[in-house]
Amino acid sequence: MVEALLDFSHWSRIYDFLNSSWGWPTIESLHFIGLSLLIGTVGLFDLRMIGLAKGIPMSALHRLVPWGIAGYGLNVLTGFMFVSTAPDQYLFNPAFQTKLALMVIAGINVLFFYRFQFDRVKRAGAKASAQRGAKIAAAVSLTCWIGVIVCGRLITYYRPPYYWCFWC
Amino acid sequence: MGFVVGVHVATNLRILGMAPGIPLSLMRRFSSVFWVSLVFVSLSGVLLLIAYPAKALTNPVFYLKLSAIVMALFITRSLAKGVLQDPSYDVGPPPRQARVLATVSIFLWAGAVTSGRFLAYTYKILMASHQY
Repeated sequence: MVEALLDFSHWSRIYDFLNSSWGWPTIESLHFIGLSLLIGTVGLFDLRMIGLAKGIPMSALHRLVPWGIAGYGLNVLTGFMFVSTAPDQYLFNPAFQTKLALMVIAGINVLFFYRFQFDRVKRAGAKASAQRGAKIAAAVSLTCWIGVIVCGRLITYYRPPYYWCFWC
Repeated sequence: MGFVVGVHVATNLRILGMAPGIPLSLMRRFSSVFWVSLVFVSLSGVLLLIAYPAKALTNPVFYLKLSAIVMALFITRSLAKGVLQDPSYDVGPPPRQARVLATVSIFLWAGAVTSGRFLAYTYKILMASHQY
């Protein structure tokens, strides 16, 4: 896994770019801008469902969510660039493993929300509260994404030895 | 940071015409989120500055970051006292001047984030005590 990722990073020149003098901070900046897009759109939509800023129709606020999805896509791309360039620093890193687990939970939560809750949220009035199921989904979403950011920051402060990998 | 920049992302996108169904003046209801987050980032920023004062103060990028934030906050105030207070812009596009300010604000926040990231890589001095 480590070798396959590294091979790809070398082959695609991502490795050379990230190891150039401005490469890493440039891609990191894009990663942070992506997270701001996600929190600024999906995060505010979650807060509205929990009960903040009543008066803004939830269906109207939801129109910003594609910008959050764009931020998410940007971050998957830039995140993959980091992982493929220094796979040993990520794959065996408990902060990274926790981050991925939270992303999986957030992903399942997205499926649950759009399958079972979104229709009612979309039809709710401007001043209405969201139903309980949607509130729970919003709280799970906020918790997961804040946790993802915290774990992302913590990755830098762990330099794990390879034997921390529990599946190898 | 996610919420400080995020609230601006959403408000500026709305001013630029995205999600037109959001009554513009009601975007102010998210300002509490922004203020609380601003207190958090300011306090943690001051702590980081106290921990490594020489690292930041000797790096020009630090002043670039601070000026971007200050300029962005001036735009925030100007928009909050202008279009965001006027319910007549709740539907339809806000005036051109507001859209220009929103665009500049987006670039300033992106610049603040970018210079913040570069701060971790461009410093010349980590601690003043290392100089002696």
